[in-house]
Amino acid sequence: MRQVTRAQGETAWLVVALFLLAATIVFLIVFAGADPWRAAKGLLDSAFGDRYALAETVVQAVPIAIVALGVAPALRAGIFPIGSEGQLAIGAVTATAAVFALRGVPAAIALPAGCVAGILGGAAWALAPAVLRARLNVNEILSTLLMNYLAANLVSWLVRTVLGAAEAVATPRSDRLPVEAIIPKIVDGTRLHAGALAVIVGAGALAYWINSTRGLGYDVFATHRTLAARMGVREDTAIISTMVVSGAAAGLAGWIQVAGLQGILYPSVAGGLGFTGVLVALLGGLRPLGIVAAAFVMAVLTTGSNGLQTDTGVPASIAVVVQGLVLLGAALVFAARQRKMRAAVAEVAAQAVEETP
Amino acid sequence: MSLTQLGFWAILLAGAVRLATPITLAALGETLVERCGIVNLGVEGMMALGAFVGLWGASGHGWQMGLLIGAAAGGLLGLLMGFAILKAGVNQIVAGMAITLIGVGLADYLFQVWQPSGRSAVVVALVPILRLPLLDHLPVIGEALFAQSPLTYLAVAAVVATAWALRRTTPGLSLRAVGDDPEAAQLRGINAVSVRMATLVVGGALAGLGGATMTVGYLGSFTDDVTSGRGYVAIAVVIIGRWSPIGAMLGALLFALFESLALLAQSQSAQLPVEFYSSLPYAITLLALVLTARTQSSPRALGRPLET
Repeated sequence: MRQVTRAQGETAWLVVALFLLAATIVFLIVFAGADPWRAAKGLLDSAFGDRYALAETVVQAVPIAIVALGVAPALRAGIFPIGSEGQLAIGAVTATAAVFALRGVPAAIALPAGCVAGILGGAAWALAPAVLRARLNVNEILSTLLMNYLAANLVSWLVRTVLGAAEAVATPRSDRLPVEAIIPKIVDGTRLHAGALAVIVGAGALAYWINSTRGLGYDVFATHRTLAARMGVREDTAIISTMVVSGAAAGLAGWIQVAGLQGILYPSVAGGLGFTGVLVALLGGLRPLGIVAAAFVMAVLTTGSNGLQTDTGVPASIAVVVQGLVLLGAALVFAARQRKMRAAVAEVAAQAVEETP
Repeated sequence: MSLTQLGFWAILLAGAVRLATPITLAALGETLVERCGIVNLGVEGMMALGAFVGLWGASGHGWQMGLLIGAAAGGLLGLLMGFAILKAGVNQIVAGMAITLIGVGLADYLFQVWQPSGRSAVVVALVPILRLPLLDHLPVIGEALFAQSPLTYLAVAAVVATAWALRRTTPGLSLRAVGDDPEAAQLRGINAVSVRMATLVVGGALAGLGGATMTVGYLGSFTDDVTSGRGYVAIAVVIIGRWSPIGAMLGALLFALFESLALLAQSQSAQLPVEFYSSLPYAITLLALVLTARTQSSPRALGRPLET
């Protein structure tokens, strides 16, 4: 009897969350003076309308998914680095610098060089907060957030000076990367590039990690430090390795954003992708398939809302509100499910106690 | 103007006190929230929404109304956060991130709906400066301490009053009990859920008021990312100030001192790149966070959900 009400509880939360989400979105669109029905159609058209639009949505999902797959091991271990935004920007800078330093080399060198430089740049930017957390117990949420602002300033200075374009430009940006350093396109007539393959590799790597003994130990580390220690997980190693991996992934995404799209570094290269990546990791339940799916949904939301602004004048920042509401809604449903599981465990335990003579 | 001139220091300090006010208000709220056991990562969103709503209210009905509804908007987000973590059992960090997205997103969205052309030069009457006669003529510190917005005086008074109330009053004691050992507090008849809910609403309102203090207090306009991380700085200074209201205020002053220096340097064609100066306040906050990390004495149940 009680179990029935609990199961209903979870579904009820899901219905409540979805209803509130839909109601808020409709309200916001009407508030902006647009027709919600036309807006929804416009959003979906801009995201899926034709082959090109769909490819653009996938292109948007790629960096988000890479960031999310990279930050997942840290989040699974109970560590909350929120510095992907800055790490992505730094990775984009180091990749661009490496490519320009190696001007004139063939693609077989320019591509791996950019890739490795991006990864190293992102990882290096993540190393400082990782060591500070492991050795001095400095709160990683705040240190990574503060370092995002340092990264933004550093990148904006570099793009204005040493990495700046040779000709005079209105908005600061770098020169165009040499053609050898541009990631090749994989679908003709679209901007879908080979960087998308990194998502498949990353998803595979995360799947392997989750099912490995070590990955399991790190999962235990999140909630039971002493037990994890007995399983051979060292605290310092766990914190530093997962945080550096998250930085490396964000740096990789930075290289992909420069070398995969326009081949030009702008100071706004991160543009919220890092934050969205952390969000997507949580929404995707810290599992590879969930993350890839969530990254696609968030990309639909972003490209769709940009189209929405052009078509109907509804500001694109509606996407940020929806992101927040979706995260809150998903967390509500997740919490309800966890409560149910705990209650079930308690019930089994209580029965076991009753049956003991 | 050089470092050796008194005028430089007077302007620097006056700017620092002005810029510290919004962070002090938000950090005071976050101190209370953390003392009752909750980490509120939503401060940034609460400040952003308060900044927009405050400006909007002030443009139609004067600065008093702006501040009032700015605080109310932050309080509402606090209520939403409280509902999510206390009634529905959502993880505090995740709920805070969601609240920040909702607050920042709503502020940008509503501003663009209100001003579609992207005009950021909405003219509002700012909170008037309150000069204390004679004292404001003191050299160097006169302008900084005695010619500020009434909000600054209010913030200082609130900080001192809260520091006293946390130590000496029954509600203060209950709040700290819930933050240190909620189960024991429940046994003594304190409703931990109610205490945490009420504190989140107050903390949200103070963050919203802090945001409104920026736009209605001295900027007079709203831009995307107007708070640029001040909500996170407010959380950092709570840790730097070791969870005491006065410590948090001093931390806010530290950030604001370097922000004031950055503004001064930008207006005086400084030697170093402008990005160096804009990084300074964040770098100093990070440094302070590192230096104080070893001597932390956080509320014992900080971040832990209530057992229900």
